[in-house]
Amino acid sequence: MKKISIDPITRLEGHGKIEIFLNDAGEVENSYFQVPELRGFEKFSEGRLAEDMPQITQRICGVCPEAHHMASTKCLDDLFHVDPPSPAKKLRELFYSTFYVTDHTTHFYILAGPDFIMGPEAPVAERNILGVIAKVGLELGGAVINTRMKNHHIIHMLGGRAVHPVFGLPGGVSKGLNEDERKEVEQTAKEAVEFAKLSLKVFDDIVLKNKEYVDMIVSDAYTHRTYYMGLVDDKNRVNFYDGKVRVVDPDGKEFAKYAPREYLDHVAEHVEPWSYMKFPYLKKVGWKGFVDGKDSGVFRATPLSRLNAADGMATPLAQEAYEKFYSTLGGKPVHHTLATHWARLVELLYAAERLLELSKDPEITSPDIRTIPTAKPDEGVGIVEAPRGTLTHHYITDENGIIKKANLIVATVNNAAAVNMSVNKAARALIKPGKEITEGLLNRIEMAWRPYDLCLACATHTLSGQAPMEVVIYNSKGEVIEKLKS
Amino acid sequence: MDRKTKTLILGLGNALLCDDGVGIYVAGELKNRVDRPEVTVMETGVAGLSLLDLMVGYDKAIIIDAIQTTDGKAGQIYRLDPKVFDTALHTASAHGIDFPTALEFGRKLGLHLPQQIIIFAVEVSDVNTFSEECTPEVQKAIPRCVRMVLQELKSQK
Repeated sequence: MKKISIDPITRLEGHGKIEIFLNDAGEVENSYFQVPELRGFEKFSEGRLAEDMPQITQRICGVCPEAHHMASTKCLDDLFHVDPPSPAKKLRELFYSTFYVTDHTTHFYILAGPDFIMGPEAPVAERNILGVIAKVGLELGGAVINTRMKNHHIIHMLGGRAVHPVFGLPGGVSKGLNEDERKEVEQTAKEAVEFAKLSLKVFDDIVLKNKEYVDMIVSDAYTHRTYYMGLVDDKNRVNFYDGKVRVVDPDGKEFAKYAPREYLDHVAEHVEPWSYMKFPYLKKVGWKGFVDGKDSGVFRATPLSRLNAADGMATPLAQEAYEKFYSTLGGKPVHHTLATHWARLVELLYAAERLLELSKDPEITSPDIRTIPTAKPDEGVGIVEAPRGTLTHHYITDENGIIKKANLIVATVNNAAAVNMSVNKAARALIKPGKEITEGLLNRIEMAWRPYDLCLACATHTLSGQAPMEVVIYNSKGEVIEKLKS
Repeated sequence: MDRKTKTLILGLGNALLCDDGVGIYVAGELKNRVDRPEVTVMETGVAGLSLLDLMVGYDKAIIIDAIQTTDGKAGQIYRLDPKVFDTALHTASAHGIDFPTALEFGRKLGLHLPQQIIIFAVEVSDVNTFSEECTPEVQKAIPRCVRMVLQELKSQK
């Protein structure tokens, strides 16, 4: 049996490894997506004060600290039985919308963009952000940086510091907005809306007008019929900050809709001996292995999933973009994994529009930003949509608020089974007996998981950590017969 | 130069992951020891493009981070000039958002980025265990690294 390793896989946050096993005929026998995931964070949380968790958990990850901060803050509301005043909820959502603008922008231009803008088989030395700006122009590159910086500035303004904000508190937030700050947010939001519109146009021009790309997006190699999960508001529209978790089946029909506290009734975790990562699945459907379809409990929680799990978007331009998305791709739900990149841009527009709405909300400068908790803490669950998927924090404390048990289902983990299936399917479709295994071909396999915006180890971070990609091919005796290095 | 060199001291890492936090601890110590208006000390766990955001507007950056080399001994401190990353730059730039690529990206866009970047890298041994303390050899390197950074500052305007 031949073994092909892609280790570490590139352009994701953290480290991972893909191993592809070929049979004697040179066809793909199986593939495994493995994660040297850091373990034990939940244990590490035990014995700590619950109110420290929004600070501690956001340090798990240098990529989306704001998502952990917000899930944890909402978990504390539930834990301390306190309902924040309306302005505090709006400020949190404003903060979270501005964070989404930065995160989705980064993913599209830095991580996803190179594959489409430079082409999946472009030389590796060009298939990166530097190649992207050489092609699309410095002006757009400047807009990317500008959007990130201005939205980071809002995070800084509300969170008190540039990274690892100190913003969410049980029952509210630590800081509101004055009129000058509000004006700045409004201006930034207006620019973000324009930037999001421009980004959708870039996608339209570069991807949708290129038949080869559209064929690739809708091809079977990158398609799985699964269940989809996402938070929705009371009108079943996409919401990143709050609401109920809605799950639709592969035909797009509502399968479940539940409040955060009920998550354990709906999601269970399967364990495989070859990975530290757990594989969540829908409890009421059951684990049937790494297969798609209605009988398999595998679900996805991604930007595409959120669009599929909702009935629409809560802002006008995003709703238009949503309708175009489905009319172009043949109706709901869309099962094409690569369409996730497009879905992310629809969400970028929604985040920007929502930011603008909130910046003009009459309550947004109100000083009424905190309800002081008075009840005894016991147990709480907080769910938000992290940019890469549904994020759940669940804490149980003693009556002094000391953590006895913590459970976190991070966004990437939700998609663990689907990522495996996506990699496996792409590998089977692309690796054929007698066909040379090139770097470009392996990149096409990597493109199967890149839409998931994986965030794996959540921030081990050493200078030498960026090893080049290495591909090793073994023959059936386990001998190395070829090595490809980028 | 008329005005003083606007300098950013940046401790990088994750203070929850044992030795990975060494840059954070060194920066934390420096916060108490550096009192010059033109010098800012910051601690962060972000990487890649987000680092670029933090560096805009500075003339010089001193970065403190963890490093793992093949034959390194835990606690060793290296003073690196980013030029050593020139060879790494091109392999690394295939991987999206590493720091040298981010830096080149920023420079192409004409951002005001540090002309001089000095990296103090501390050889570490454990970056996979959740712990808020470094291993003993790395712990001992913290005051040494602090002195090296202070020395670096002394030599500039």
